[in-house]
Amino acid sequence: MIKSIIRWIVFFILAFILQTTVVPVISIYGIKPDLLVLILFMLATKTGLIPAIYTGFFLGLAQDLYSPSILGQNALSKTVAGSFAGLFNEKVMRIDPFLQGVLLLITFLLNDFVYFMVQVVKSGVTMNLLGIELLVTTLPRALFSLLLAVVPLVLNLYSQTATKR
Amino acid sequence: MHWIFDFIVKHRSFCSFLLTSVLSLWMISGTPGKQAEIARFLTSSIFYPFQITFNQINQIKNIFSENRKLKEDLANLTTHLSLLEEKAAENKRLRRLLGFSENYTFEMLPVKVVARDPSLSFRSIVINAGKKDGIQKWMPVVGENGVVGKIIQVMNSLSLVQLLRDPSNRTSVMFKRTRTVSILETENGRDFFVRCRSHEDTQEGDTVITAGLGGIYPRGLQVGVVSHVTESNSPLFKRVYLKLSVDFEHIEEVFIMRLSPQWSAFRSEFDSLEFNND
Repeated sequence: MIKSIIRWIVFFILAFILQTTVVPVISIYGIKPDLLVLILFMLATKTGLIPAIYTGFFLGLAQDLYSPSILGQNALSKTVAGSFAGLFNEKVMRIDPFLQGVLLLITFLLNDFVYFMVQVVKSGVTMNLLGIELLVTTLPRALFSLLLAVVPLVLNLYSQTATKR
Repeated sequence: MHWIFDFIVKHRSFCSFLLTSVLSLWMISGTPGKQAEIARFLTSSIFYPFQITFNQINQIKNIFSENRKLKEDLANLTTHLSLLEEKAAENKRLRRLLGFSENYTFEMLPVKVVARDPSLSFRSIVINAGKKDGIQKWMPVVGENGVVGKIIQVMNSLSLVQLLRDPSNRTSVMFKRTRTVSILETENGRDFFVRCRSHEDTQEGDTVITAGLGGIYPRGLQVGVVSHVTESNSPLFKRVYLKLSVDFEHIEEVFIMRLSPQWSAFRSEFDSLEFNND
């Protein structure tokens, strides 16, 4: 149990390091993939709903503390995203890779939707702008992240197959 | 009261979600001052270990950008340094040349070598002065260590200098110690020698200067020193090999001596000479 927790903490720290160092380098027209949501999704589908909720909350809170955003904004969006992904726990249901991809995409969209909704409420941004933001920024970012997620998803599939044998 | 715990345990997922969402919304709804207060509390308590980690991450980020900037600075400074070194070397050379030129009473024009004969043992160089600078054919060209050659072709802003190492070149020279006059020769552009009578006193290290008899170079310009002496096949003559003072491989700046050939004053008399072949 403790080993598993330490492993996930290491994953998140690595993701955070990559997110702040490597990801800006590989960004295309300012569109950056979100590795933290990707790791959160993986954790959620592996461990279940409750760990996903708390991990999402504390991860988002850490992001809020160390990035110029509204305090609680990332915490809420990552909580919602983690909760959604945690519903599809591998322990209780079998998810094929294609469905995993679709769920991951929805998790990204949900995360960004909640994030921008908070922005709308707090900053008075109009809903029209929110729609444009989701279309111009969120969707490309989600697709870019999904592209990066192919490698861990394939590795995950390979490990599942190896375990069954 | 007990039923509350039962409810929480039974619906722990929902309660967890509710708790975290309410906490998030509470933080979101707070004023900027309140948010800053909460942030301060969190960073100094439960997020303190992460604070250290994030600081390290920020340092890593800074290392990347700092490294890039340092590399840029290094490239700029290296370029700047090499330019300065080049200027310093040029300054040193010019100072040496200036010291040399002050020893002569002739008017000296400092010029730069702009091209070289592409052959392995290059026999000529091109300098950046020509007719517009008052350069004339046959003017002597010297370096800080001695004679370099003479102007053989003058263009508008460039001139061609025939070097002493050109095998077709013949220069009248003189041993400074014995005042023996001879002709500087070379067969391959590398080994230089003068022919002397066998009984002439020549020693290694003897200085050889221009004799001033050819009409082009004035007397007294340093040419080289005796490196060794060999007996030739003829019992009457010997070959005295010289090491020239000028390093032709590294000529960058030279001086042109504004000096017309000594015969030019008598050219009209030469031209009017009539030889009687009878």
